[in-house]
Amino acid sequence: MRRTATAIGFFALGLLGVSASVGMAAESRHMVQIRRLNEQEYKHSIADIFGPQIVVQGTFEPETRIGGLLATSTTVLSITPSGFSGLSALADSIADQVVNEKNRGKLISCKPKSEKEADHDCAAEVITHYGELLWRRPLTQGEVADKTKLADELAASKGNFYTGLRYGLASLLQAPDFLFRIEYALKDGKNYTLDPYSRASRLSYLLWDSTPDAELLRAAENGELGKPDGVAKQVDRMMVSPHLETGVRAFFFDSLELDAYDNVTKDTLIYPKWSSAVAEAAREDTLRTVVDITLKSDGDVRDLMTTPKSFINRKLAAVYGIPFDFSQEWMEYNFPPESGRIGVLTRISMLSMFDHPGRSSPTRRGVAIMDIFLCEPTPSPPANVDFSIVEDTSSLKTVRERLTLHSTNPACASCHSHSDPIGLPLEEFDSLGMHRNTENGQPIDVSGSLAGKRFKGAAGLGQALHDNPRFTACVARKLYAYGVGANAEDVQPSTFKASYDAFVKGGYRLKTLIKSLANSPEFFRAPAPAAAPPTATKTASTN
Amino acid sequence: MKFASKFDRRILLRGLFQGSSVAMALPFLDCMLDNSGQAFAATGTKIPVRFGTYFWGCGLNKQLFLPQTAGKDWEITPQLASLKPLQKKLNLVSGMRVPLDDNPNFQHWSGNAAIMTGIAPTQANAFDAPTLDQTIADAIGRGTRFKSIEVACSGIKSESFSSLGGKNINPPETSPMALYKKLFGTGFQDPQRPDWKPDPQVMVQQSVLSTVAEDRKRLMSQVGANDKQRLEQYFDSVRQAEQQIEAELQRPEIAAKVEIPTEPGQMPVSKAVPTLQRVVPLMAKLIAIGIATDQTRVFNVALSESASTIFMPGDSKPFHQTTHEEAIDPVLQYQLTASKFSTYSVEMFASLLKELDSVPEGDGTLLDHMLVLGYTDVSFAKIHALDGIPMVLVGGANGRMKGGYHIDGHGDPVSRVGLTIQHALNMPASNWGKFSLNTNKPITEILV
Repeated sequence: MRRTATAIGFFALGLLGVSASVGMAAESRHMVQIRRLNEQEYKHSIADIFGPQIVVQGTFEPETRIGGLLATSTTVLSITPSGFSGLSALADSIADQVVNEKNRGKLISCKPKSEKEADHDCAAEVITHYGELLWRRPLTQGEVADKTKLADELAASKGNFYTGLRYGLASLLQAPDFLFRIEYALKDGKNYTLDPYSRASRLSYLLWDSTPDAELLRAAENGELGKPDGVAKQVDRMMVSPHLETGVRAFFFDSLELDAYDNVTKDTLIYPKWSSAVAEAAREDTLRTVVDITLKSDGDVRDLMTTPKSFINRKLAAVYGIPFDFSQEWMEYNFPPESGRIGVLTRISMLSMFDHPGRSSPTRRGVAIMDIFLCEPTPSPPANVDFSIVEDTSSLKTVRERLTLHSTNPACASCHSHSDPIGLPLEEFDSLGMHRNTENGQPIDVSGSLAGKRFKGAAGLGQALHDNPRFTACVARKLYAYGVGANAEDVQPSTFKASYDAFVKGGYRLKTLIKSLANSPEFFRAPAPAAAPPTATKTASTN
Repeated sequence: MKFASKFDRRILLRGLFQGSSVAMALPFLDCMLDNSGQAFAATGTKIPVRFGTYFWGCGLNKQLFLPQTAGKDWEITPQLASLKPLQKKLNLVSGMRVPLDDNPNFQHWSGNAAIMTGIAPTQANAFDAPTLDQTIADAIGRGTRFKSIEVACSGIKSESFSSLGGKNINPPETSPMALYKKLFGTGFQDPQRPDWKPDPQVMVQQSVLSTVAEDRKRLMSQVGANDKQRLEQYFDSVRQAEQQIEAELQRPEIAAKVEIPTEPGQMPVSKAVPTLQRVVPLMAKLIAIGIATDQTRVFNVALSESASTIFMPGDSKPFHQTTHEEAIDPVLQYQLTASKFSTYSVEMFASLLKELDSVPEGDGTLLDHMLVLGYTDVSFAKIHALDGIPMVLVGGANGRMKGGYHIDGHGDPVSRVGLTIQHALNMPASNWGKFSLNTNKPITEILV
């Protein structure tokens, strides 16, 4: 099967010059965006191309959050010297594994005439095949020739075909064409739209968090992905793949800001039950809950806010104080209503993530909920604000009493009056997410409000978010921004309106939203060329 | 690159591997690399000068750190007490400020970025220019395995204030083990060993990289204006990897006699002060040996994030929150708990310096052959004040920097310190910084 794909790729490359996408004159196609591959996308891509037996161990540069998403920063970040040196070593280690004696039988499609010397044809075949999978488009003849030359020369000087091949593959793996997703656009009437290979990548990284498979690349090659019905056919196929779960997990990992957990520290003197294993399990619970609602049950996304169902392992059971069935690693658990644990906001992960090491913070919780679930970011407080009034725990026992003082200062009140009534209902849970009724001996008042609606406690908050249309609109907005690499705060509602309407009509099924977005022309829309290439003469701008 | 321009690497490769042995290739390389400067010169090489930074968030308290007098012979203050053993080797700079021009005060960012770039930042968490350490590394770090080494003591991946500009940071090592592996793991050879020889693998990597670099022209001709700089940065990184490899072909000439440390085991890394007090000296030791063996000449150590959340176990509030919420003691005029966190932050700086000063090198110690800038992001954290940010310059810079002074900045821009550092490192910039932070006045009192 691999051989066939290679043969077709090579054939098309030679005869057609892969007219639509590679090697054509600059006026028909322009580079619109480059996105740095993140750690998970990298790992998934390698696993899908070479198989899960390849160990990917290295350090990746961190992303930064822009407009609520890490994905957005991949369109502004580059690769630093120290980042590259890590990726270069990683490329070599992967290439080494691909050609080693254990894997070569399965992964290298041809056998060299002699293992002790270069075999140009075999090396070219392998480089052509993996080049297309890694670079998400066929290599040009010149590119194949360059990499094969390297492989041949090193095979000759080291007296080993596979050693040469290893370095040829390593050069593919540390090239910008692999480490970045390079997107190209074509003119489409008055607008610009992504070319078929760039569409293949955009689809596969959104739906699967991984590289396009051979079938997607085939659909790009023959132009099917340039047409709506061709896209629809591929999206249908991708929606039923088990990889969809990988894609959904990646989106929620990012949009729920679960990476923040990497930097959460709890004071173990105050919270002896805290450990990094608990943190890891709590994060996994949230992701399992998301997958269960959105994919396994094909349910209503809003149920995330009200579900009593959780996924518990031994560590979490110990913290929650729930008897655990040791016959399995993870078990489903439905929290009883009196536990107050209604919806994902009331689980350890979301409760402990936006707090201080030794103390809960209704403000940080409120700000995070507005940002994550309602797409309403909060500006920084003024630089010279005096907080010492909220410090006095001797006369002001609860956080609520201390925070109420913000209302005396209009500059503070403008934000705190939004965030605090959302965070305060969660005060029935401490910084680790444990239930409590009092703070410093004083009963806790858990009343709160959201968009003018008053309620009590976490259950009331969950229901209010469930009923708030801003929540579902925020999911649609972020999914679009995540898929195309835009800043969610700057995204025009028209770009995701069609998919959002379908989402609402379909009963808030995530699959409906994904499918509709992936099929919408806006998903592939590209900006006009930002600047004329230096050699071209300037013509009247159509902008 | 000198090497590449003179000889085709692949021809050299064939020479190396088809030839009989690596040992034979050594004198061959010798004659080819004669032009690469001090690192490769014969005996009597001057010890190279080095540069480092130590950053802590949330400032100091002027009631506790500001000396009574300026100039020489100032009396050490409570918050700087841990630096007393090194007082003769350091200069304290106080009273300088960050004029913001029309930019907002990005909390816990503006001060940090302005000191490191000489520019008041136009957005939060992005540098408007390469940071000072990188400019310096370009000048003094050539020919070492690593242009610079970044370390995040509390283990946070995003905690580095070294950058080539923009939102990209130079990623830090986040544990002693990771730092050890970077400096002394694969690719390291002890330059003190008589059997030191270049690793043949290195030459192969060089030809792989040159193939990768060949894509530059193709991509740069297509890339749009938005992404041009990013792609350029990628190819600059490739080039630097090539230079790093070139450096690995040469045995570093070193003046220190050091023992290469053994690999530290896994240990907890966190923002808890007692954990940091264990981690920082370990990191410092590794950095010191890394510098002594000339693996790098530039380092950046961040104790914490800019809005420092280091905390004391059992006390529910971390540093940053304390600076905002703790009442000012009416008699003492400072915050009791917050000021302790500041003192801990300085103590850990002292523990770093102590390691650097304990390695004998040539006629002095490592510290005498380097310049270390200790700095923070604000003066009084409670109100994010940018006037009077304390900065400390430590080390003799190969005899170009005096010690023992307290410089009162009288409201001058903080960029004077950056300019002074460049002068001390023999990088004679006539001025540095932008807009109100532009200055042509190094602190001449402390320059030799």
